[in-house]
Amino acid sequence: MNFKKYFVFFVLISFAMILTACGNDSKDEEGNKAKGKESNELEGSVAIDGSGTVYPLMSKLAEEYMVNEQENVSVEVSRAGTSAGFKKFLAEDGTDFNDASRQIKDEEAKKAEELGMEVKELKVALDGLTFVVHPDNDWATELTEKDLKKIFLKDENIEKWSDIDPEFPDEKINTYGPNENHGTYEFFYENILEEKDLVSDINLQQEYSTLVNLISEDVNGIAFFGFGYYVNNQDKLQAVHVDFGDGPVEPSIDTIAEDGDYAPFTRPVFTYLNVDQAKEKPQVLDYAIYVMNHVNEFAGETGFAPLPEEEVQEYVDFLEGLKE
Amino acid sequence: MKYVHTAQVQNKLNMRLIKNNISKIIFFLSTIFGLIMLGILIARVLIQGIDWINMDFITGKLSTQADKAGIMGAILGTFWLMVVVAPVTMFLGVGTAIYLELYAKKGRLQAIIQTNISNLAGVPSIVYGILGLTIFVRAMELGNIVFAGGLTMSLLVLPIVVVASQEAIRSVPQHLSEASYGMGATKWQTIKNIILPAALPGILTGAILSLSRAIGETAPLVVIGIPALLIPFPGGITDRFTVLPMQIYYWTLDSSLTAEYANLAAATIIVLLFVLLILNSAAVIIRNKFQKRF
Repeated sequence: MNFKKYFVFFVLISFAMILTACGNDSKDEEGNKAKGKESNELEGSVAIDGSGTVYPLMSKLAEEYMVNEQENVSVEVSRAGTSAGFKKFLAEDGTDFNDASRQIKDEEAKKAEELGMEVKELKVALDGLTFVVHPDNDWATELTEKDLKKIFLKDENIEKWSDIDPEFPDEKINTYGPNENHGTYEFFYENILEEKDLVSDINLQQEYSTLVNLISEDVNGIAFFGFGYYVNNQDKLQAVHVDFGDGPVEPSIDTIAEDGDYAPFTRPVFTYLNVDQAKEKPQVLDYAIYVMNHVNEFAGETGFAPLPEEEVQEYVDFLEGLKE
Repeated sequence: MKYVHTAQVQNKLNMRLIKNNISKIIFFLSTIFGLIMLGILIARVLIQGIDWINMDFITGKLSTQADKAGIMGAILGTFWLMVVVAPVTMFLGVGTAIYLELYAKKGRLQAIIQTNISNLAGVPSIVYGILGLTIFVRAMELGNIVFAGGLTMSLLVLPIVVVASQEAIRSVPQHLSEASYGMGATKWQTIKNIILPAALPGILTGAILSLSRAIGETAPLVVIGIPALLIPFPGGITDRFTVLPMQIYYWTLDSSLTAEYANLAAATIIVLLFVLLILNSAAVIIRNKFQKRF
């Protein structure tokens, strides 16, 4: 008898739970219907994946959007890395946006074409590739662009700090960086090292926080990543001032800006929009417009340099044009 | 005449007593080691996180600003995940156990199944994540919703429930079911009316422990792809979701961006430990209360 009681109890509970669960199924459809209504209240979800470098900026924008603009839209921000993100973006029912710390590659653009997908590149901010060392490192605080590249290049056979400058300590250089999932890696490898092989013992990591921790404990280490991850960890890291020929330049919001002194290591960061999704789902388009209107507002606090106003306005005009 | 050489015995006895004491100390230290580590962990988490726990944190929405962030979304996500995991594992787990213990003929096939269930229990959780990603998220096109996550978690904890249920069924005294057969009951009647009620406490204990395992697991969900920022609360098993351990994972990683996130992670650990403590004590209470009924 006892068992029956338990059994009935369990069945009842499971049914109650399943029923409540089903109540929410029709959410997304309603979101699409909301288009025609007078009020500007939107519903539904916006899926964003991609670069971990751009993540702080995009998650900040997503939150502000949900708090101040559209409370019922769910903007979901993930950060698998630029390349991993593109794989999720370039698929049937893929993500709506893909954040990228490099431009879309030819093969990725081809994939989009095969899928019949219209993709719009939106430049969102400028980032400076920053080289960081341990705070106690008092020798490599200023390096030339050439020496920096040498440290990371396999063929240069630089093993010890003293190989660069005899006055530097006779210690092995430990190199670190984000792994191949990240646009930052690809930018460094393709644009800065011009696709020459990296040192084979470089320690490549998926997570930036791991890199920050590794460098903050390794006096002989040097790593590269986006400026934002340095700005937020200035107590644990020190940025290398890079000499591009006219004296050492410290990476900062001002120097990484358009035409700044840090320009050779500055790169734009992007988010790629699936235009078809934007036309179909009003919340995606609305969010895209919000992003471009407010991106400069939040760039500074998340460690990026803002874009010129005219450039941003061009994107906004394009997006407004997608509205029917 | 002396039968015992007192001096010689005394000499050897001392040696034995020393050995005895040494082994006692070694084993005591091994016990203490685990406890000390647990103590350090709890103390550290409490010191770091306790100030951050308040009603706003428990009931609030997720946020990128540390002082505004709350974990209700993760708590609800965990709840909905359990809504999927509990019935699925209970049904499949107990069903498997009944078949293996009561219906299956003892033989090669049964031995193979048995070995493989034990093997499944040892498969690393991230492998289940890949399985879930391939089957539920991609092939069945469910996406990274609660239902897909729940099914993946069910696979992960299934072996625990199967093994616990088998033990429970096996420990039901033979004479009970023989009496039932003697009264003319069929096999299913005997299972339904005699064996399962008697085995229920053991089964429930196993089920609750498996749930607490599922609540604490992170790796399979990392693979399935839980968004790092998901503000709205999940309202059912078809919504996207995040869970408590995922939030701990993301906040720990992001503490390199915002230092206060480390405190949020600690506070979330306290909440998670609290939930697990409640579940595990429920399991202990059920076991103690019903254990010796026969």
